[in-house]
Amino acid sequence: MSEVKLTVNKKEHILNLKGNETLLEVLRDHLSMTGTKTACQESECGTCTVMINGKAILSCITLAANVQDEVTTIEGLAKGDILHPVQQAFIEYGSVQCGFCIPGMIMSSVALLEKNPHPTQEEIEYVLDGNICRCAGYPKIFEAVIEAGKKMKKN
Amino acid sequence: MLLNPLTLHLPKTSLEAAKLFKELEDSKVLAGGTFLLNSMKLLKTKGTRTARNVLSLARVDELKGVSFDGDTLTIKAMTRINELFDSPLLGDKGHLNILHTVCRNISTNPIRNMATVGGNLTCRYTWTEMGAVMIALDAQMHFLGPDGKEDVMPAEDFFKNAARSEKLFTHVTIKAQKEAVAAYRRVKKTIHVDIPSLAICLKTEIKGKQWYNTRVGINNGLAFAQRDPALEAFLDKSVSSPDLGKQALEHLTTAIYDTRTTEYKQHMFRVSLRSAIEEICQK
Repeated sequence: MSEVKLTVNKKEHILNLKGNETLLEVLRDHLSMTGTKTACQESECGTCTVMINGKAILSCITLAANVQDEVTTIEGLAKGDILHPVQQAFIEYGSVQCGFCIPGMIMSSVALLEKNPHPTQEEIEYVLDGNICRCAGYPKIFEAVIEAGKKMKKN
Repeated sequence: MLLNPLTLHLPKTSLEAAKLFKELEDSKVLAGGTFLLNSMKLLKTKGTRTARNVLSLARVDELKGVSFDGDTLTIKAMTRINELFDSPLLGDKGHLNILHTVCRNISTNPIRNMATVGGNLTCRYTWTEMGAVMIALDAQMHFLGPDGKEDVMPAEDFFKNAARSEKLFTHVTIKAQKEAVAAYRRVKKTIHVDIPSLAICLKTEIKGKQWYNTRVGINNGLAFAQRDPALEAFLDKSVSSPDLGKQALEHLTTAIYDTRTTEYKQHMFRVSLRSAIEEICQK
């Protein structure tokens, strides 16, 4: 066991880890942040997507002890009761069906819109290609992303 | 736990990493982790033991980044695929902007944020894309030993040696040739799994429609990346024309494309080669 410092959603955590824990395991099992989901566990589905350094990263294939930069999870987007524009847009546009893919979708969308708040449909589809929705809710997800981008650009 | 117990080593310099690379027994190098961690998980589910030591290059800043000195493009081993994709240095350097196309077609966005050029080149999976590309671009691969000495070898030779190295891969260099043009094709294995069935990269210089110094890098997914000498020899005597792609198909080293493979894949190879040649003819 060794001490590992991990900063998640601007809060620093000192954890005793064996070293073989994935970031996903640490978030869910050690830090009780279950917003990031477990599904395929082999980098295919995107439900485990978080942000590190503003980039969408798959936490199921990231070793927690190997992370040196701040991690942002779905729990870290809202400011108190005020939802992030992407979260708000997903609600307003009915983009959530079963909801399982949504945290990952939102994280990938936030990473995209922070870099480019005015993406084209093609750019959205390209960037979200690592997030699978089994409910096939893509049209409303893309609409929400476009709308959220407009709000983020205004702000 | 999804992974077997392991000891994670976190060197901060490339020399420290090179020494650990030599010294550590039962070890694997962790670059982006997109291959390694999936394979370690899979092996664990099968009850197979996995490497006890994992050498992470995440903290070695010397191994990160893309640079251009006016003559040569340098891509460090830990450069992420998306970093290379976004690099403005690829823009107007003749054939080097083919790397933009290559990166764009690798896997999915989060994977591209994590996967590295070095990992793609040295992971020893025969189907990875960068091997064929670096061979076509006549890239030189640089390795660092524990004594601090550097070895350099052409990418072609690295893959002839089954992508083995006893030294740490640090970076790849590619000479810019403003007169050169390139084309790249990649075919996915299935719609579900983004492992390429094949990847090809052609680079040539064209003067007055005559092809010169043609290099053809092929990844057939079964053997390590290689050149096609028969096709290169034919193209180097050729002149750009609408029929060149079709004619070229009579001059293939067929063993590369037809051995131990399906009719579909043989067909896709020919479709891809013809398409790539026709694209170059139009440049």
